[in-house]
Amino acid sequence: MTINLNGLGIDYGAILPELIVVGTAIVVLFLDLVVPPERRGWLAAVTVVGLLGALAASFPLWGQNRAAFGDTVVADSLAAFFNILLIAVSILTALISPRFLRALDLDYGEYYVLLLGATAGMMLLAAATSLMTIFLGIELLSISLYVLSGFARTALRSQEAALKYLLLGGFATGFLLYGMALIYGATGATTLRAIAAYTTAAATSNVLLLVGIALLSVGLAFKVSAAPFHMWTPDVYEGAPTVVTTFMSVATKAAAFAAVGRIFIATFPTLWTRWYFPLVLIAILSLIIGNLVAITQDNLKRMLAYSGIAHAGYILLGVLPGTTQGFTATLFYIAAYAVMNFGAFAVVTAIGAGGEQTADLSYWRGLFYRRPFLATVMTIFMLSLAGIPPTVGFFAKLFVFQALVTAQLWAPLVVAVIMTIVSFYYYLRVIVVMLAQPDGKVAEGHVGFSTSTVLGAAAVATVFLGLFPSVVLDWARSAASLHF
Amino acid sequence: MSWYTLPTNVPWLTLILVLPLVGALLVAITPSVAGRVIKQLGILTSVLTLALVVAVIGGFQQGVGNLHLQFEETLQWIPSLGISYHLGIDGLSLFLLGLNALLFLIAIVVTDSSTRRLKEFILLLLILEAATAGILLALDLILFYVFWEAMLVPLYFLIGVWGEGRRIYAAFKFLIYTVVGSFAMLVAILAVAGINFSQTGQLTFDWTVLVQHPATGVWHLPGGLPSIGIPQLLFVGFALAFAIKMPIWPLHTWLPAAYTASPIPVVIVFAGLVSKLGAYGFLRFNLALFPDAAHSLGGPLAVLATIGILYGAFMALVQTDLKRLVAYASMSHLGFIGLGIFTGNLLGIEGALVQMINHGVIIAALFLVVGMIELRAGTRLRAELRGLAATAPLFAALFLVVSLAALGLPGLNGFVGEFLIMLGAWASFLPLAVGAGIGVILAAWYVLRFYQGSTQEAPPQPASFPEVRLVDVGVLAPLLALMLVIGISPAFFPAAVDATVKALPVILR
Repeated sequence: MTINLNGLGIDYGAILPELIVVGTAIVVLFLDLVVPPERRGWLAAVTVVGLLGALAASFPLWGQNRAAFGDTVVADSLAAFFNILLIAVSILTALISPRFLRALDLDYGEYYVLLLGATAGMMLLAAATSLMTIFLGIELLSISLYVLSGFARTALRSQEAALKYLLLGGFATGFLLYGMALIYGATGATTLRAIAAYTTAAATSNVLLLVGIALLSVGLAFKVSAAPFHMWTPDVYEGAPTVVTTFMSVATKAAAFAAVGRIFIATFPTLWTRWYFPLVLIAILSLIIGNLVAITQDNLKRMLAYSGIAHAGYILLGVLPGTTQGFTATLFYIAAYAVMNFGAFAVVTAIGAGGEQTADLSYWRGLFYRRPFLATVMTIFMLSLAGIPPTVGFFAKLFVFQALVTAQLWAPLVVAVIMTIVSFYYYLRVIVVMLAQPDGKVAEGHVGFSTSTVLGAAAVATVFLGLFPSVVLDWARSAASLHF
Repeated sequence: MSWYTLPTNVPWLTLILVLPLVGALLVAITPSVAGRVIKQLGILTSVLTLALVVAVIGGFQQGVGNLHLQFEETLQWIPSLGISYHLGIDGLSLFLLGLNALLFLIAIVVTDSSTRRLKEFILLLLILEAATAGILLALDLILFYVFWEAMLVPLYFLIGVWGEGRRIYAAFKFLIYTVVGSFAMLVAILAVAGINFSQTGQLTFDWTVLVQHPATGVWHLPGGLPSIGIPQLLFVGFALAFAIKMPIWPLHTWLPAAYTASPIPVVIVFAGLVSKLGAYGFLRFNLALFPDAAHSLGGPLAVLATIGILYGAFMALVQTDLKRLVAYASMSHLGFIGLGIFTGNLLGIEGALVQMINHGVIIAALFLVVGMIELRAGTRLRAELRGLAATAPLFAALFLVVSLAALGLPGLNGFVGEFLIMLGAWASFLPLAVGAGIGVILAAWYVLRFYQGSTQEAPPQPASFPEVRLVDVGVLAPLLALMLVIGISPAFFPAAVDATVKALPVILR
């Protein structure tokens, strides 16, 4: 008996970047057996080389529209946009990892394997056009991150973070899967294209479908850490090794928003009147809870976690109008957030390479006088997160606000503006603390060549994209035009 | 002006923006230990910038150009959203640009070479100069907003790091206040462009386009609430930003804290220039984009401005610290500028424009004098100062001229602006003109008491107040010269700004 596979549309070229990342993970896994423990830096180097290969393989996907594997994945500009973004974040993470891992005595090869696994899952999620592949992508990235958050095995906080993330994540997966089952039940299809075809033809009041979408949204909101499904975020961000937090804070959010775009903008445009209101609530809640609670945090990792919840709200604002203009703003915001938030967490990582509990804000007192480079780049990231020009964070907010003005969605705009003003308080507080007279707790020390290069590059990119946002904006625009 | 014609193929305005940044870059790569070189680099840069600005002022052709704008430069910036890099100057911005270049030069010259972290200090001053120049040059609303916000960052650090007393508190308060206003303005900017897009189909943030299509429409509130005119709403959005920056009573509370905490070089540009940018914003955006709203909302704002005149004057009367005294005096004088703007008539607005330059000159000179007194006598408290004239007669003479200009003596520059504003107010809001007149009387009181108290009577023993040095005379000289020139030949300014002001839509009605 022969099985005919031709009809499935097997097209390895469409998922070449993902294949390269997975291949690199396997290579690293085996290399780990032969590389002597004191040379584990090589694993990081191999990881970076593999990722660079995947990066190169991502560019040809731009401008294409290749559905493959029975319409379960697609090679298009949106996938290319996220591939480039996610791989870049992954490369930067690999570059700042060795020093941090050595300092905390966590220098194991599995780290890079898991990092690559998570990256592959995120890339798959960004390219997924079927409920099956969306689930596959989410689980691949989640399981890798569950382990990574507990990577500091001996630290109680890290164990707690991993367990919390695992339990709550599993719960969210339940919602996600249940939602998918209901959508399948309502439409009889698993690919987004077929589901979209059903919704444009049939009435939009199919309760089964709407409940399914609602449950699916819960699962996705959990992944982007939007309120009220954000509860895990501060504890996991705080407990996980800082370098892992750096990675997951930007990459998970980005990948999940790719799925949000494919589902809400491309698949369910006709149901806009149905999903608009719940998403407004989620966005407004995220903005309010994220920003207000961030004020009270004295731990920088927790503060950035709540700020990340707030930024999930801002990013979601771009989805609300359900327009290409809005989703363009969302994509630009994600890219901007990746640069500036990665930078901010990378500074925490660099300081944490001393091996102590250094995320406490009191530890940062007088940083300007002790470690001016770190303080300066941190200032740039804080100003950008707050949205002060000429940084990329300003244009991210501007474009989202403009999309809301064009769509005349005033209520979320007003909340966003007020909460942005609130956010100045806690971002600037970090600068104020760094400006205060030092009290001797800040350790002197080296940042290391690769880390300082990464930090410098992120800071330069934050300012450069603030002066010339057009390039990324044009990319985002071509990536955002999604249709089924 | 128009003494000569400048070649048009040179991007003059971009050069004015870029030169301080180049200077900042040079300072950045100079080693911190070379303090002397750093300061000289700063002076050289700001001298060159001033020269460039003077050249542009001299080449400004009066009353020509699209909307009287000249030296226009337009480049695509974010074309897909209608955001451009559009620069240009007219009668509103021309002399403020000159004031900008002059005050930054003075600020850098009076910077003490022993200032800690001198390199970063000069660097931030130069960046600030580029940002404030950008505010005056930008003709795209988003570009303007970018410069407007970019100005905050160097100012925040200049106060927060080099300030005195509760410096971080002052910097923080200033920033939070300003940011609230800025975001109101940002939303208004987006709404202006959005309304223009829905009315004309053209997505643009260009001031020269928007000014020709004033926003119209009414916002109908649900539930039987009164309707709000959309231009009025947008006017308020912009006004909040500018009123905080100016500041107009009761949004002023950040000002005494910030001025008192700022070191002298910073307070010179802060009080001399930054507060004027709020007034400039009113003229450029509120009056030009929403002339109808300016007429309907000008009255209440004029009342607030007059309250500011009197409040500032009374507060100045009771201050014991000279720096705070000058800070409140500054607030009182800014009230005059506000009153002039909100009269909505030619005399008042021209008076406000003249007074913006005058106030910049006078307040910078007053803060310089306060700085010199503090440096020599070691105190700023009024009660501890007396008899300076006995040991430092030249200083006392310079101080006297500055004081007389500050209280508006005819023949000096302060009189010209205040007189025009009072005439304008007389035509529009008679009772407010009376209130402003009381403000002038109070100014004479607190200024003369300040002068007399510190210079007259016998000096305390042992007299330790040395005479001014050449450099002190040097930094005061251009300001004193301006006081005399403007005071003696007041037609100088109105002639140059006349065409622009007359073209403001608010005047035509």
